[in-house]
Amino acid sequence: MRLRRASLVMLSVILVFVLAACGGGNNTTANSGKNTSTEKPTSTATNAPAEETAAPDDRALDHSKPLKLTVFSTTANYAGPQTGWFAKIIKDKFNIEMDIVASNLTGGDTKISAMMASGDLGDIIIFGDDKNHYPNAIKGKLLLDWTQDGLLDKYGKDIGSTFPKAIEKAKVAFGGGSSVFGIGNNVASNPSGPSEGKDMTWGPDLRFDLYQQIGAPEISKIEDYLPVLKKMQELEPKNEQGKKTYAFSMWSDWDGNYKMTLAKQFANMMGYDEIPDTAVYVKADEEKYYDFLSDDSWYMKSLKLYFEANQMGLVDPDSMTQKFDDVVAKFKDGRLLFSWFPWLGAANYNTPERTAEGKGFALVPFKDELMYSTGFNVYGGNGIIAIGAKAKEPARIMEFINWMYTPEGAMISAGSGTAVPNGPKGLTWDMDASGKPVVTDFGWKAYADQQNTQVPAEYGGGDYYYGSNQMNFSFVVPAMVNPDNKEPYDHNLWTTTLERNPSKLDSDWRAKMGVLTPKEYFEKNNLLAVAPQGFTGKEPLMMDKTLEQKNKQIGTVIQQISWKMVFAKDQAEYDKLNKEMHDKVNGLGYAEVMDFSIKKAEELFEARKSVK
Amino acid sequence: MGVPSGELLPSVDPVHRSRWKMKNKHKLFFMAFPFLVVTFIFYYLPISGWIYAFYDFIPGIPLSDTPYVGLKWFKTIVSNPTQTAEVLRVLKNTLAMSSLGLITSIFPVIFAIMLTEIKSGWYRKLVQTLTTIPNFISWILVYALAFSLFSVDNGVITHILVQLGIVDEGYNFLASSSNIWVTMIVWYWWKSLGWGAILYLAAIAGIDQELYEAVEVDGASRFRKIWHITIPGLIPTFFVLLLLSIGNLVNNGMEQYFSFQNAMNKDSIEVLDLYVYNIAFANNFPFATAVSMLKSVVSVILLFAANTLSKMVRDESII
Repeated sequence: MRLRRASLVMLSVILVFVLAACGGGNNTTANSGKNTSTEKPTSTATNAPAEETAAPDDRALDHSKPLKLTVFSTTANYAGPQTGWFAKIIKDKFNIEMDIVASNLTGGDTKISAMMASGDLGDIIIFGDDKNHYPNAIKGKLLLDWTQDGLLDKYGKDIGSTFPKAIEKAKVAFGGGSSVFGIGNNVASNPSGPSEGKDMTWGPDLRFDLYQQIGAPEISKIEDYLPVLKKMQELEPKNEQGKKTYAFSMWSDWDGNYKMTLAKQFANMMGYDEIPDTAVYVKADEEKYYDFLSDDSWYMKSLKLYFEANQMGLVDPDSMTQKFDDVVAKFKDGRLLFSWFPWLGAANYNTPERTAEGKGFALVPFKDELMYSTGFNVYGGNGIIAIGAKAKEPARIMEFINWMYTPEGAMISAGSGTAVPNGPKGLTWDMDASGKPVVTDFGWKAYADQQNTQVPAEYGGGDYYYGSNQMNFSFVVPAMVNPDNKEPYDHNLWTTTLERNPSKLDSDWRAKMGVLTPKEYFEKNNLLAVAPQGFTGKEPLMMDKTLEQKNKQIGTVIQQISWKMVFAKDQAEYDKLNKEMHDKVNGLGYAEVMDFSIKKAEELFEARKSVK
Repeated sequence: MGVPSGELLPSVDPVHRSRWKMKNKHKLFFMAFPFLVVTFIFYYLPISGWIYAFYDFIPGIPLSDTPYVGLKWFKTIVSNPTQTAEVLRVLKNTLAMSSLGLITSIFPVIFAIMLTEIKSGWYRKLVQTLTTIPNFISWILVYALAFSLFSVDNGVITHILVQLGIVDEGYNFLASSSNIWVTMIVWYWWKSLGWGAILYLAAIAGIDQELYEAVEVDGASRFRKIWHITIPGLIPTFFVLLLLSIGNLVNNGMEQYFSFQNAMNKDSIEVLDLYVYNIAFANNFPFATAVSMLKSVVSVILLFAANTLSKMVRDESII
């Protein structure tokens, strides 16, 4: 008995030691973590003068050692090392290699939370929006302050001189007035007009050849698309490989922020857009908003539309279980007839061979379509690029990010993610004798069929698509005019491009619509709602933790039941689910979320005044 | 202990040598020590994470900078009827899946008995290997397999069924919520049947062969032998495993349900573990921690209850 007690005492003593050791270990790592994060910049600061003596220009950094960066992108759709032509350019120029971590592919928010909890977000971090994770990462001291040791002044000069307003916003909104923790995407230097390129962000695009074959019936409201699509499906029930065609093929992996992602697009075609993570949709150019669960909301009307489409056999039954990539493949194979976005249908289906035959996706607007357009944003968009607190060699990272905001960087990859980037100079585009940029023949091939175009080895090899900048972050807005040659960055808007021989599809479309580009159609008919991109000059409103919990739960309920409603068996089940959704969200505190959402809308209206 | 004491002597320092009679105790203690450390690190240390339930914790921000909120998140569970209904729904799924698991836990027993009754050696080994292999496949891969079998577009089985005219083209099995509990348990046993039978096979091998010979002399048939010797021989093992699984009633893991969940079936397969995971990574760690704390408490209560019951009924217990 005595011995037993002795061993028990000993056991507990040992456990206490282990506990102390573990606790101690944690503390020391935490401390050393903090030390490195504060010391790192100082050490580079002390390095910099040393280099200054070696090279007279204080911006010249030593690139002799390869720098391998972990890029944590919450928007990327590709994970792994950056390869191909973009990798080659940054390797040659900065001796930088990127390894991309994509939360979209590994659990979404789960991955982001896990990375946040680990205390190390990587070297470069890309946030899809500036709502939750970004401010939390700042609070958690996970991001590097660019103003520390003059990092931004020394190595980010071009950002500061071309986009001073973006820096101002970073300081006021997120940096307590003085620090800069990140900078927005799609920045512009001129403040008015629509910022899109030749195409707008939304369509709707239909298979134009089939649409014409059925007599191109006029479409006056969104519901009119269904009978048209049905006729088109009857005309081409199977694709070339004999697989069934559908009008709508959806995917759920982009759901989040409160909704089934694909049920908001029609709101955008009516001049409205959501405020992320809230329950309202706001008008682009007026102080109007609506509750998106109300009966007259375009979200609810879209669900109804998809439900009816499903009843008509127009919806791909794999929609709920497939991923975005599966849908892209279906577009490529010619199995789909409707595309919400020009960058989805046309970008994947319209190969040169097909467009020469007149086949392809093109804009077929409805009569009262009012296209939502994002205005040029001198403050930068809501996407954020930041540097991790534990980043190695922040000076070289800063230099790299700065370059992406210069004309040279923008000419190569402006629009990466949403638009086809121009690619390497000399391969896909070049300057002609008069000093104007012009797309090469290889360029047209690569832009039209990105995944099947092999890039020559001296430009990095691989196919054009995976060789693009896979961070999925658009630094400079593609429609912005390049000060060096007075042409926009986007190759679709170059004079040489617009004057180029159109394909059969293009000429058919131009003949019917009487305009050259979709953008021109909306501009000419005065069907654009341009949202001014302003800034209140204050820290953004944020939900408290309790409301956030309610909001997330409500969001999950809405997403889940939305899908069920689309695939409901009949009208009765649809109505039952609709009621269930409203009951559930009301029970979970929808009213409170709505109150907050309205405040957010008012904040937005105030922000817009800053650029009017 | 078969270890000769002399061998350990040199490593024992003089202080210990003087307290000679403690030696065996030490030896045993040090043998157990690594396991105690492992147990401590993996089972007791994580309990310190319970502290997050009392703060408005946000990943990335140190706890010292987060507001202390007391029992707020525990109260949230019953704060409003919809929330309570959600928790009850999840509990219902959990108990349903566990009960189905308990009822069907007789399957590996039957399977083990049938396996030992197979006389052809190579065939028995083949069956056993084929049924054990799925245990080593992760649930994510099982789902990938399910997707390739049942997707509308390229699913092998869907294709066959369509050809035979049994189902209408365009029926998405994976997005169907009908009989989802049964479907889940079928997938579960497809994966674990062979593995679950291993313990019973070992127990059967441990039954005294003389017993069989004795009843054979008495003229017992094959079925009688199973009924009167094999099954009674397996009952103790079965009960120990049953008790353990009752203790685990609320822990049915999340991997399977996580892989198979989608908008259609989530209502019916979101079990507690998955719910905790979904909530936590929707960025609410404190609430998820509160729920999982309650889960642990319930588990401990269930285990002791089952144990007491077993003591009363069979005069046998595991604790």
